[in-house]
Amino acid sequence: MRRLLARRMKFHLLGAFLVSVGCATLYKFGVAEPRKRAYAEFYKSYDPMKDFQAMRAAGVFESAPPK
Amino acid sequence: MANHSQFGFQDASSPIMEELVEFHDHALMVALAICSLVLYLLTHMLTEKLSSSTVDAQEIELIWTILPAIVLILLALPSLQILYMMDEVNEPDLTMKAIGHQWYWSYEYTDFKELTFDSYMVPTTDLPRGHFRLLEVDHRVVVPMESPIRVIVTADDVLHSWAVPSLGVKTDAIPGRLNQTSFVATRPGVFYGQCSEICGANHSYMPIVVESVPLTNFENWSSLSSS
Repeated sequence: MRRLLARRMKFHLLGAFLVSVGCATLYKFGVAEPRKRAYAEFYKSYDPMKDFQAMRAAGVFESAPPK
Repeated sequence: MANHSQFGFQDASSPIMEELVEFHDHALMVALAICSLVLYLLTHMLTEKLSSSTVDAQEIELIWTILPAIVLILLALPSLQILYMMDEVNEPDLTMKAIGHQWYWSYEYTDFKELTFDSYMVPTTDLPRGHFRLLEVDHRVVVPMESPIRVIVTADDVLHSWAVPSLGVKTDAIPGRLNQTSFVATRPGVFYGQCSEICGANHSYMPIVVESVPLTNFENWSSLSSS
């Protein structure tokens, strides 16, 4: 029982720190990085004019009605 | 526009909004780390696995002073970076004015042609099938895509706010004051927003719709609209 609180506190504070860093890492590699990659992939092969023509044909724009 | 039961941001349609989305992910990651730390310690304290009875705690006092300071710096640096990025003067291709009224917006394109119009919400009873309730307007704001646009925002009567979430824009419209914001629409499309400052009975019924089209189409629209 000698120095029980000190030992437990050291152990659990380290555990808490690891849990919080683990949660942050999970979020970073589970949400943040995939989102960054999704944006990069989208714009890598994005053709604005092709997108515009498709939206125009669908009648989305009021200033550019379908031909 | 937002989907039903949408939790996160709308897809970014401007570079600033992409930066904001990334910063939000960063800030949420920090918030998650702190919350999980607190939850861990709280559950252990409540289940008697840990106690807060201490007499001398110099080392931990040092840790929980320095660590939060580091966390705050990690939050402040990207925040200030984006703040200054938003204020950059980037030689806009077009300047337009958005003026808030009770309860509609009016727009003025005075750069090259006298083009002004009011933009009222389309009432639900007049809404064509498939259009968005409380979001559509009779005259949309048309801008050229992939061009820096400057918007001068003001109001005629009470406070309003011109906001388009997808473009990362929200600027207060204050009577007697001109506020400036700018954006670049990176892709063509239709972007919706709503008045974001309480302005009376119909505050929820004065939406904003921005149509981003190629320059040729914008020029056709502006010449047709001003004639």
